[in-house]
Amino acid sequence: MTEDALEYIKSHPEGVLQSDLWKALGIDSRKCSRIVARLLKDRQITREIVSADGIRTYRLTGIRQESDPGRFSPLLAEGCFEPCAGCIDECVPEHCAKLSEWVFAIVFRGSGQSEAV
Amino acid sequence: MVAVEEPIRRAYLVKLVGEEGLRIVESMPSDEVTDEHMAEVTGISLNTVRRTLYLLYEHRLAIYRRKRDPDSGWLTYLWMLCPENFDKALEAEVRRLIRKLDARLIYEKDNVFYACTCGCARFVFEEASEANFLCPYCQEPLEYMENRKIVETIERQMRDLSAAFS
Repeated sequence: MTEDALEYIKSHPEGVLQSDLWKALGIDSRKCSRIVARLLKDRQITREIVSADGIRTYRLTGIRQESDPGRFSPLLAEGCFEPCAGCIDECVPEHCAKLSEWVFAIVFRGSGQSEAV
Repeated sequence: MVAVEEPIRRAYLVKLVGEEGLRIVESMPSDEVTDEHMAEVTGISLNTVRRTLYLLYEHRLAIYRRKRDPDSGWLTYLWMLCPENFDKALEAEVRRLIRKLDARLIYEKDNVFYACTCGCARFVFEEASEANFLCPYCQEPLEYMENRKIVETIERQMRDLSAAFS
């Protein structure tokens, strides 16, 4: 449903009123708010407060993504692609050894192998 | 053939499907093909080819269409790569990584760490205290470990990753 919402928003370059979005998607406004919050958090859309027929709502606009693959270069550190891609282990970011290894590789790159983290 | 020349995309594919998987991807034609044909062309086992194609499908980098043979009733799967979805797939990885780094950052900021002087492991204060500041693996002393650089690195990495969407 999140992807349907994003597709709908992006298909309207001028933006979509949040009050229209949930009607168009056939969902209730509470669910729509949660989807919008997720899209905002993921930086896929922006929103601004507007007033439509005297009712306060939001205009949602999709963020156009660049096609330059170089923008993804932070995924690759010290020759290692970030560890979460394709990972099927139980996910506990706080204790993940693979994530630690990847972060430490970047730390060592910045400070030299001999310096302790 | 679908050549994957861009280093990030190559690294991503290797991470997802391994070196053999990358070889399969690079041997795939731009139109539909069966898994049996790919196994034949590459000399890679049919199981590996199928595993690779399903992994690509899960990440929306490949699609399939089922075709039923009217005589035998057998289903044939016709596969096609979707290289145009690379950016979307990488964006999804960036978003997921940012969320995980965020969780890790909170953990790093909220805890004080002690590390084994032999390099066995790192422990939070409560664990180190319970173990009397001795490493449970080698019994060497645990020492306070400054994690400022880890915090700074995670913050910088999150900023750099977020720039992919700016």
